[in-house]
Amino acid sequence: MRIAPGSLAAAAILLLLAVAPVATGNPFYQHIAALVVLAAISASAWNVIGGYAGQVSFGHAVYFGTGAYASLLTFDKLGLPPIAGAPLGVLASFVLSVVIGLPSFRLRGHYFSMATIAVAALAQVLVTNWGFVGGAIGLMGPASPRSIADLLFRSALPYYAIFLGVLAVLLACTWLMQRGRTGFYLRALGSGEQAAASLGVPVRRYKLYALLLSGAFTSLAGSLYAVFVGFIDPDSGFGILISVNMVVMSALGGAGTLFGPLVGAIILVPLEEITNAWFGGSGTGTAYVAYGIVIMIIARFAPGGLAQLWQLFAWRRRRAA
Amino acid sequence: MLLEAQGIVKTFGQLRAVDQARLALEQYELIGLIGPNGAGKSTFFNCLAGNATPDEGRIRFRDTDITGLPPHDRARLGLARTFQVPIVFEGMTVRETVMVGAFLRHSHRAAAAAKADEMLEFTGLTAQANVKAASLGTPGRKRLEIARALATEPTLLLLDEALAGLTSAEVEVAIDLLRRIHQRGITLIVVEHIMEVIHRLTQRVIVFHQGRVIAEGTPAEVTADPDVIEAYLGRRGHRRHG
Repeated sequence: MRIAPGSLAAAAILLLLAVAPVATGNPFYQHIAALVVLAAISASAWNVIGGYAGQVSFGHAVYFGTGAYASLLTFDKLGLPPIAGAPLGVLASFVLSVVIGLPSFRLRGHYFSMATIAVAALAQVLVTNWGFVGGAIGLMGPASPRSIADLLFRSALPYYAIFLGVLAVLLACTWLMQRGRTGFYLRALGSGEQAAASLGVPVRRYKLYALLLSGAFTSLAGSLYAVFVGFIDPDSGFGILISVNMVVMSALGGAGTLFGPLVGAIILVPLEEITNAWFGGSGTGTAYVAYGIVIMIIARFAPGGLAQLWQLFAWRRRRAA
Repeated sequence: MLLEAQGIVKTFGQLRAVDQARLALEQYELIGLIGPNGAGKSTFFNCLAGNATPDEGRIRFRDTDITGLPPHDRARLGLARTFQVPIVFEGMTVRETVMVGAFLRHSHRAAAAAKADEMLEFTGLTAQANVKAASLGTPGRKRLEIARALATEPTLLLLDEALAGLTSAEVEVAIDLLRRIHQRGITLIVVEHIMEVIHRLTQRVIVFHQGRVIAEGTPAEVTADPDVIEAYLGRRGHRRHG
């Protein structure tokens, strides 16, 4: 079997990721490392539908928020550990995928993207005005651990380990998918629906498969976020920036590649945390200025993201050899 | 009867693009579908392939009514098509592109890859197997269209202007390829507007004009048909009708 140099390098990055935060012993870095992996989960989940299947969703916050609210509602209403809400969030994400997917998959390109923005914006408004789920104020997690199941730890390292495990499962699923029929079908329908259909690809069914997988893991990322941060409000659950983050990270690293979103998260999350630390409260959002610049650079020089640059580099080296 | 279309009507607003068109095809035939630009042959072709649904009429393929069946189900039944303007799967290599077709009958990656390699060999694309499909020129893209359609292992292959835009040397290669496809036992419908190609390739031709079938027969017969000459060259001396 042929192993691409890109996947070897990426595996090395993954290994480094697993070890580095433990090695530093610095809580600030460990916290950032946990956030990086969490962001990588949602960006990699987005990548299944937005990258491989080419259906650029700008509304994935709807899944993230659903997962986040599912955990804290489970705690708030039932008194169960927040993580117990994660499966409920995943179930809800399946329902959402069918409800969103069936009508919106008739739309192509920008129209699909616009429809997903509308759905997420609608969800945010609904949640903001719905007292039962905390309205504009949001929901809190448990203040102090009642048992280990509450997953409240002083250090970021246990979270980091959990997130890394989930990311590994997601990337393994994506890898298996990418190698098999589903991956080929998604990539084909992403670049030419009619041509794919003429080759026997049931286009809408496969888009739905992709959305189900993508939505489930995005929802799981939301649940983990709520457990980690212990607080959720309409903006941090359903805000447009949550969706944009997933898109930008995937695009920067390389949408439709296995490790692209992870690479994007490794670059962008520290950037955001560092600008926040530099500028303090007054500088919140400075990262988004950087995001804007990053988007422009990607669009102008490497629409395929860093993965494209890497391929170009590997190709040149092969030619030189 | 492998394929039978009857009374096919397709309108776009006021325009009857296809008007009571019909077609009957036996297995192992190789027929041509010709007509001047705008004759409705592409629309009729799309009705057969499932990319357009006729307003009236019925289509039967292998004893199944496929009139409202979506393209992917037709592919499963053994009806494949190519596109006039090749559609490239961006980012995929030539082999991966053909594997998409092969996955229809082979669920395992290795089997799909083997089928794809066989089709690449058959269409003469083996040397380009690992290059990006988007880097191929027009002749390569046309062959790739055919290779991936063949990878679905069709009974009937519909070719929409597979030879358009090729130089005369490339046309020779393509004609040879179409003959070899036919020799494999695949039934072919070839849409063309180049008469010469049709002459050399087919035993039977159906001529379209203004959405209707105006003639049918051997290439020699239809080219001698006054209606066909009129359709292609315009009216000559028939003023009393006009």
